[in-house]
Amino acid sequence: MLIDETRCTGCRACQVACKQWNDLPAETTRNRGTYTNPPALSANTWSLIEFKEIETRGQIGFYFLRRACMHCEHPACASACLVGALHKTAEGPVLYDDHKCIGCRYCMIACPFGIPTFDWNKGLLDQPLIRKCVFCADRVQNGLTPACAKACPSRVILFGGRDELIAEGEARIRQSPGRYVNRIYGKAEAGGTSVLYLSSIPFEQLGLPRLDSAPVTVLSEWVMRYTLPFAAAWGAALTGLALLVRWRNRGKPKRPSSKEAA
Amino acid sequence: MAGLGPTFGRGAMTNDWIDLKNSDVIFVFGANPASNHPASFSWITVARAHGAKLVVVDPAYTRSAAVADVYAPIRPGTNIAFLGGLINYALQNQLYPSEYLKAYTNALTLINPAYQGPAELDGLFAGFNAETKAYAGATWQYQIEKIQVKVKDAAGNAITKEVSVPKQAAALDEPNTVFSILKRHYARYTPALVERVCGTPQEKFLEVARTFCATGAPDQSGTILYAMGQTQHTVGTQNVRAMAILQLILGNIGIPGGGVNALRGESNVQGSTDMALLFGDLPGYLGAPTDRHADLQTYAAKFDATSYWVNGPRFVVNLLKAWYGDAAKKENNYAYDYLPKTSGNYSWIPLFQAMRAGKIKGLFCMGMNPAVSGPNARMERLALANLDWLVVMDLFETETASFWKAPGVDPQTIQTEVFALPALDAMEKEGSIVTSGRRIQWRPRVAAGPGDAKSDIWILNRLANALKAVYAHSTDPKDRPILDLNWVYGDDPDPDVWLVAREINGYALDDVKDATGKVLLEKGALLPAFATIASAANFDAIACGNWLYAGYFAPADDGRGIWRPAARRRGQKDPGDLGLFPYWGYTWPANRHILYNRASARPDGAPWSENKKLIWWDAATKKWTGYDVPDFVATKAPDAKADPAGAGLATQAGTDAFIMKADGKGWLFAPTGLADGPLPEHYEPLESPVQNALSGCQCNPVVKVWNTDKDKAIGDHIGVCEQYPVICTTFRLGEHWQAGAMSRTLPWLAEIQPELFVLLGPDLARARGIANGDQVKVRSARGEIQAVAMISARLKALIVDGKPVHLVRIPWHWGWQGLATGACVNDLSPHVGDGNTMIPEYKAFLVDVRKA
Repeated sequence: MLIDETRCTGCRACQVACKQWNDLPAETTRNRGTYTNPPALSANTWSLIEFKEIETRGQIGFYFLRRACMHCEHPACASACLVGALHKTAEGPVLYDDHKCIGCRYCMIACPFGIPTFDWNKGLLDQPLIRKCVFCADRVQNGLTPACAKACPSRVILFGGRDELIAEGEARIRQSPGRYVNRIYGKAEAGGTSVLYLSSIPFEQLGLPRLDSAPVTVLSEWVMRYTLPFAAAWGAALTGLALLVRWRNRGKPKRPSSKEAA
Repeated sequence: MAGLGPTFGRGAMTNDWIDLKNSDVIFVFGANPASNHPASFSWITVARAHGAKLVVVDPAYTRSAAVADVYAPIRPGTNIAFLGGLINYALQNQLYPSEYLKAYTNALTLINPAYQGPAELDGLFAGFNAETKAYAGATWQYQIEKIQVKVKDAAGNAITKEVSVPKQAAALDEPNTVFSILKRHYARYTPALVERVCGTPQEKFLEVARTFCATGAPDQSGTILYAMGQTQHTVGTQNVRAMAILQLILGNIGIPGGGVNALRGESNVQGSTDMALLFGDLPGYLGAPTDRHADLQTYAAKFDATSYWVNGPRFVVNLLKAWYGDAAKKENNYAYDYLPKTSGNYSWIPLFQAMRAGKIKGLFCMGMNPAVSGPNARMERLALANLDWLVVMDLFETETASFWKAPGVDPQTIQTEVFALPALDAMEKEGSIVTSGRRIQWRPRVAAGPGDAKSDIWILNRLANALKAVYAHSTDPKDRPILDLNWVYGDDPDPDVWLVAREINGYALDDVKDATGKVLLEKGALLPAFATIASAANFDAIACGNWLYAGYFAPADDGRGIWRPAARRRGQKDPGDLGLFPYWGYTWPANRHILYNRASARPDGAPWSENKKLIWWDAATKKWTGYDVPDFVATKAPDAKADPAGAGLATQAGTDAFIMKADGKGWLFAPTGLADGPLPEHYEPLESPVQNALSGCQCNPVVKVWNTDKDKAIGDHIGVCEQYPVICTTFRLGEHWQAGAMSRTLPWLAEIQPELFVLLGPDLARARGIANGDQVKVRSARGEIQAVAMISARLKALIVDGKPVHLVRIPWHWGWQGLATGACVNDLSPHVGDGNTMIPEYKAFLVDVRKA
């Protein structure tokens, strides 16, 4: 999916279409002095437009960042999941299996974009549920485009194969170099994502995290691989230390407590 | 719309939504399509991808401005100063195509030498009567030349007849030409004056001027998109006129990607206007008969004899035949006497004044929510309380249906009996919808309605039949209009909407023949086009509910050889790849998609440029050809001469592109049709923080100001700048819909825009000690509301005439019903309307704001 932020007018048809297709209830909200509402992604809000007013050299700009799962090529959430509840599909979507989840929420910490959310209404005991955009996998598997792409009136959201979208994005940048930052966000970030962005201002200003091109999963997989040996080794070391201390203290009288000293 | 009619001949969007993709510069002025017409951005995006520029002029940096190439701020209520500046810029820098101006506009026409305008008369036009606040436009008229022509009288004898034709100059700059008057009038609108009046920095204004006026080149087209930001002013009609003049000067009318495009805010508002929703009209813009039109002959004489309106008297007869059937006979002037005659202004504001005064006792409110949407809404709710009965047909219990239990109102004090009739949504009934671009599309019913909800046609059918039953035994002649009403739409169990469509389309009551006796249309057949009415000898054998829609329901080819009612076609062929899609639905008039398209070609009939070609003269076949249906006589050669002895379009030449105008020209200068002057002149809004910098005439001089309940807490109060120094504009959001009944009841929309808010700039917030998200009170001379403060650098103070002027903007969708509730913002707005149309001045009035 290619999101051309230079075309977005913040109409939020995508945000509402997401709720409509996925049958997500509305949240009770307040106006907090901004158009952005609900305030953040949640178990019932999988896609959110964040309104941003940015002034540069006295010129006001009004930007609309569409925030939802990036469907990484190497998803950190999936690799952080202890029970394999999250997995990357061949078609692109990173999907989640309700029945496997144990509610550890490692995925939430692992995701560099802060996307997965926990359904606190269900809680840990009832049924732990992680919620996020599912790329409308049910629509895509039936030959339709995701609900957000279908609803967008301004042709901001383009759905298709990743390579073609990268080619299209690069063509747009070539054609109107003044209009775009010379880079497609998500082409390399975090090892590449299925959701790609074009923008007229630096992506960090728009609110997307600065990431290098190594997949976050490389790190998390490395960590996961050495977690058990590390834990075992650390345990052994601590045990050894404890034994050493006990050995050095042998024969010494027990230190009186302060109460006894008084 | 009232601004487009006098200029071009028809009060409608000249082009279409898809046509925006053909534009080189899209000028959004007085609209915010990103919020209010988001689908338009589908085509604006395509145009921009091809390199088109988007220019936005708006008091706030809106969501449309967010993607614009050029943005300029403007003070609300100063659009004519800005547009006058653009007109002046185009004229001074000779950016106009003079060949276009000479051929297609009245630039060369000579005006009465006694004409004087605001430049000479300190803001007024000649002929103003200060007592009646009205103009006698005698000196605004064309100079007339009397010529002798030979015609045949009824008996076939050649006789000499004297006819009057407008005098034309040879060159644009001759004295008293429209062009020289225009140039003189707008010479005062310099970039410095624009800055002084509008608060737009000069360099920003010039950037807009340079960008947009470049579309005067023959291979460029520019379009202006506007909405309520132009119309909801005391000078609303003249705002629209100013845009129309600018577009004529730049040669942008009649071509792909050009036009003055009124973005209609509701999906069928064009259809309702076409069907005479407004009090001053009959279907097809025939004009409602007034008490000056005592009989059919007098009424028929009001139509121009030298334009296509020469057929107006025929269309009226067809309408009367549709409405009164056999009771409309030649002997009784086709039952013309049955038509009510208007004797005053029955627009919104006078109606509510009459209710307030107790003169109107009952009100039918169909899909309208005046308790929220009306100006000075608190006073209008008091007017509702004066009614004996009120019927509200709507999808939900609106604020109007529940005005008697509004916050702070004691229901016991209100005697009005309120009936709520649950109605069906557009998706729950079959029928046609007319887009802003005049395309009529038939839609099926796709969902069943809830509970007892009924379609409008079901309710009206019951009502009409009940009325007929009540009067069934009456012998009183005054009851004949009800008894003779040709009301036959079936009721088994629902009325048949196809029968309604048939009547609107028109059908033959008998064999329709031309002068030679050839049968044009067999008895019972559907009318294929209004041309049949024009060429019929026995035109009174046709019943037609709206001549403009003639043919919209008649069988037509969908481009694949499949014939079906034209409005139900879904053919996808697009000759010329311009997005006209002539086989999809039916576009009035006569499936012409770009109005006045004669002007898309040079006077000699060749396109102005290859990339903007639309229709052109084919000398071989002696016919106009191309992608669109010609908006004039398709066989009239470019060099055809006018025949002053003829009638109707015969009096117009091969270069006359505006067939609904008496002289076939686009009117830069409008001798008739406007109450407040032949040219747009800047006046301040009724409530303004500054003096008019252009003249001593502060407000539009013809505007009617009421004084109802001036001595009471709720009344027609006018605020002054000392008490109310901040300019307020009401506006609409993308997330809510008009008065809110259809959106504030939807959880997903209530979630994204939950509460009423006031947009204000950081300077004003700092001055008043307001922080983002605070509750604030906004007060005008009419009332006070509370809302959340949204502080935004998108709305900046403007420097007007040397001093800073602060602005606030408030979306007006809220009320006390539904899921997202809030104060009625129109409790603040003034009960005053435009000088021509009476559209209320919602876009510029004075308030003050403070922390709650």
